[in-house]
Amino acid sequence: MTQHTSPGSSCPHAGAGSRPAAAAGGGSPSKFSTAGGKHVRQTTLSVALEVKPASHDQLTHLIDRLHDNGPGAGGSKRDFGWFMQGVPSVHFLSMLVFPGEDYDPLFVLEANFDGPSGVFWGQLEAVMGEELRAMLRCCKRPLDEDGPLYDAVTADCSRATVAPYMEARAHRPSVFHHGNRGMTRDRILAEREIFLGIRKELATACAPGSGGSPYRGSVTPAQIHHGLRHALLPTFPWLAEEAPVRIPWPDRLMDILRLVLFVFAIVLALSLPGLALAPVMPTDRYLILMAVALVSVAVPLYRMREALPGTAIVGQTNLFHLLLKNVVPVVVFLVIYFAVVSLPATLLTSVLTGKPMLASWSHAARTVLLGMACLPFSIIGILTWLRWKERRDASQDAPPVDEEMIRQMVQREDWIPQNHMGSVVLIKPGVLRTVIIRAGHLGLGLFLRVTATDGYLGSMRTVHFAHWAFANNHGRLMFFSNFDQSWESYLDDFIEKAAAGLTLAWGCGVGFPATRFLIQDGARHGRKFKAWARHSRTVSRFWYSAYSDLTVDQIERNNRIANGLRKSSLGEKEAAEWIHDL
Amino acid sequence: MKEQTPGKAPSWHLKSPHDSRTQGLVVSGFSSLPTGRALFLEFVGREPAGGAWLEALDAIAPVTDADGRDERATSLAFAYAGLEKMGLPKSALESFDAPFREGMFQEDRLRRLGDRVQGEWLKTVIEGGPTWSANTRQRGPLKSVEGSEGLKNTSTGHEEEQIPSTPVTVHALLLLYDKDDPSADAWAQQVKDALQPHDVKVVHELPLDLRFDSNGTAREHFGFADGISQPVPYDEDEGAVVLSNGMTPDSATDQWNGVPLGEILFGYTNGHMEEAPGPVVPDSEQAIAAGLLPHRLAEGFRDFGRYGSYLVARELRQDVASFWKSMEENASHIRERDPRNSAHVTAAWLAERVVGRDTDGHLLCPFGKKLPPDAFNRPRNDFGFFETDPHGKGCPLGSHVRRGNPRDALSPTAAETKDLLAAANNHRILRRGRKFGPTSADPCTPDGENRGLLFICLNTDIARQFEFIQQTWMLNPNFATLYDETDPLLGPEGRMTIPEDPLRRIVDVKTFVQMAGGEYFFLPGIPALRYLRSL
Repeated sequence: MTQHTSPGSSCPHAGAGSRPAAAAGGGSPSKFSTAGGKHVRQTTLSVALEVKPASHDQLTHLIDRLHDNGPGAGGSKRDFGWFMQGVPSVHFLSMLVFPGEDYDPLFVLEANFDGPSGVFWGQLEAVMGEELRAMLRCCKRPLDEDGPLYDAVTADCSRATVAPYMEARAHRPSVFHHGNRGMTRDRILAEREIFLGIRKELATACAPGSGGSPYRGSVTPAQIHHGLRHALLPTFPWLAEEAPVRIPWPDRLMDILRLVLFVFAIVLALSLPGLALAPVMPTDRYLILMAVALVSVAVPLYRMREALPGTAIVGQTNLFHLLLKNVVPVVVFLVIYFAVVSLPATLLTSVLTGKPMLASWSHAARTVLLGMACLPFSIIGILTWLRWKERRDASQDAPPVDEEMIRQMVQREDWIPQNHMGSVVLIKPGVLRTVIIRAGHLGLGLFLRVTATDGYLGSMRTVHFAHWAFANNHGRLMFFSNFDQSWESYLDDFIEKAAAGLTLAWGCGVGFPATRFLIQDGARHGRKFKAWARHSRTVSRFWYSAYSDLTVDQIERNNRIANGLRKSSLGEKEAAEWIHDL
Repeated sequence: MKEQTPGKAPSWHLKSPHDSRTQGLVVSGFSSLPTGRALFLEFVGREPAGGAWLEALDAIAPVTDADGRDERATSLAFAYAGLEKMGLPKSALESFDAPFREGMFQEDRLRRLGDRVQGEWLKTVIEGGPTWSANTRQRGPLKSVEGSEGLKNTSTGHEEEQIPSTPVTVHALLLLYDKDDPSADAWAQQVKDALQPHDVKVVHELPLDLRFDSNGTAREHFGFADGISQPVPYDEDEGAVVLSNGMTPDSATDQWNGVPLGEILFGYTNGHMEEAPGPVVPDSEQAIAAGLLPHRLAEGFRDFGRYGSYLVARELRQDVASFWKSMEENASHIRERDPRNSAHVTAAWLAERVVGRDTDGHLLCPFGKKLPPDAFNRPRNDFGFFETDPHGKGCPLGSHVRRGNPRDALSPTAAETKDLLAAANNHRILRRGRKFGPTSADPCTPDGENRGLLFICLNTDIARQFEFIQQTWMLNPNFATLYDETDPLLGPEGRMTIPEDPLRRIVDVKTFVQMAGGEYFFLPGIPALRYLRSL
């Protein structure tokens, strides 16, 4: 009935309602190595293919059949062992078809896996290459240079591999989030075994000559740690190895550098009007011009600051307060920006004008500084323009939903503690929206890479793998998420805990609840937002999770336990902290 | 239970004219009327059943409004199937929320509520399946699949399980509150006699009881003080809510338990900052005569929901002997495994950890302490968990009260406690349940008696409030970083973690509570009742 499955378990619904046996899935502890020391990055991608409308039913049938029976003809392979073994790099994978409303149907394969995409596609090809080929035959031939590749793959009796075609059509996400950063699938599964092993040991071990537990009585946390390590090392020899680094420092450094570069680029872009005017204007006149320009945009903005009647949500993130709270870092950043940008500007000035360095510097520094004086005007100006647009944006209070589609979606939900959603929305038109979406997604993506390293997105820690990606020349925005708990609770989390970021990323969607200054209101219109999100979804026909009983939180917990157990001894204080997780 | 405690404990009520348009059950559990009868009604006559029976009811048991204490009290709520039978217009029926329209007994909903999975009732439901529900019409097969041979031949999600009908069909729930058993019995009989000629049959009945002890505490059957944590509504638009000290509360008045009135009553601002959406009826002379207000969004319709709410009812049987026997077994197992360090572990100690409060309702705190009572000698309800008990060494992480209302406990850092508390308060319900059945003479010995709790709660968004609590908090196997365990009191047989120093204990719990019937009802406001009467 459902695609959710515990790996290695014969019951596809273990975990829902019933309490599954503690050791459901996973196999023997030694099966998963943690690849000591070697770092493997996780990759998230999606392939979106237009479907021939007349082949839509056949495509959904093929996906359902693959889900029900596994590859090949017949046989009961509902336990997904074939997928678990055949595609060992995958964390989560889904295949869905969005029905055509504004466009023809769209077939999407969403994958989250360890390592480079070449290896993944190879594994997938080996397991379900022919099934994929049959699905591709239901899709349209692309009109660009991938056409011949499509022909080769889909021709009658073709034996050409489908992987290159899939790889050519794969989208990189515009924003993505990995809940358990740097954790390979095998490591997650291995650490799950450790957690279960500890539980068993604590429940059953007996002190010599008695029925009492050696971990009870007058023992300290450090002694318990020592005892557990000693008891588990023979079964889990990898505990003797050092824990692989989850985010190596070069990666971390690059993440931070990219974000800094992005902010520099934004500031530079916003000061462009000033940079153009400053060299040709006397300072006093320039400053007066800036002041006049600022007032000319700030006054209308002030007038438009309030929400339209019925769309205000009180007590939430506010751009102005955010700026006030962070005034020190902002000033520090601007000083650094000035120092850093002045250098290349000086060189450029010197090369262009032939002036000596010192004169070039004073000229360049003046220009950069006056350019920065343009920032308030640029920012307020854009906000005014945006606010003007926001006040005229139509939002959809009651998006049409297909009752039967909802029923099919709901029927596949809540079998295990994790769920899946796939969504496609149209993007609002206009130059400003286009620029903001692209810059917003780029910035949000880089920001998440730097800040979301411990599973938390704001205060929610329920997202395993999620991403946004553009389709149709940036005309549509896709969203996929593999999350913990129910869809309702996931959306409630967004509404209650991450509304600002969500409004920023999704507020560009046609019909999104009324927003204010990009991040206010919007998703906080809880019921309307849920209705909008529900309307954008489709049935997750094929969905696979490699660790169906683990939440993001649980994986982090298991990781803390394993990391502690890898250490040959812990101090009492450290052990007392560590023991909370057992 | 507020009115029963010593001193004049603060409470809340609705001001005029809101009070005379709202059922009394919303503002009060009628604790001054300790005896009650739950009468489950079926409309057995021809359709439409109409509203004439409500006239007859009015003569003997008029539905109580919220404008003050009465000699005895009546509350009345309707299942979807009941409204359909009474002949409510189709457009009105369709304006209700999906959970109410579909009823509790729908495949996906039963799975989420932990009652039925893959065609089988779980152990948390009584043997043989529940005995009553509204038997709401099932939705039938998917039409979109019928035309496609390919889709029809796959097993995935194209068929919906048709839930077997319960032996008893309940169309409406009538609650009678009286001062003692003899008068309650006599009154219930009068009501039955009055409804009989109208083809309204009482098909199931439960004697409801508060049975206060000498301290004025109402205990559920396991022996714990019940109904302590309740939301306290506020209405910032019209100031409809007034506290007993005369103050009009706002969102800042009670950070722990304050919720917007729209969480409990349709038509007022709710937790999503909009008027809690309720049902409508087409504009008509009857609707105007009943006093239904024009709907603010739906032109041509009257507001049928305002002053009303959804009422969730679940008949929960409690196995008292199994509960205490299990606690005893666990205590002795712990003492066996940990002879040197377990003197404090008794059945009572474990039972308190399962609940999270002591038998008198005081919160368990770290270092074996308890939260002292408030100025009115009541168990306190104004506390968070994050600061005082982050690891659950007092009130265990997975205990019944912590799961039922985690407050700020799920906050990752101190900076986010306020947000997380606000988030948790977006899922509150107003509980109005009462126990039924005799008190156990000896809690450790099975006596074969039928006893339990008729769980009743009010909320305006069943999916976001009642169902969320049941699924995401109570039965969530990963709640608060726990693994593979659910609510130790309500959930199925399994485990429960009790954090302690130096090492947590894990106990095995059995299935102590079983659902014997349940349904979603609509608790109409007084004008909406008048409209129903005119059908």
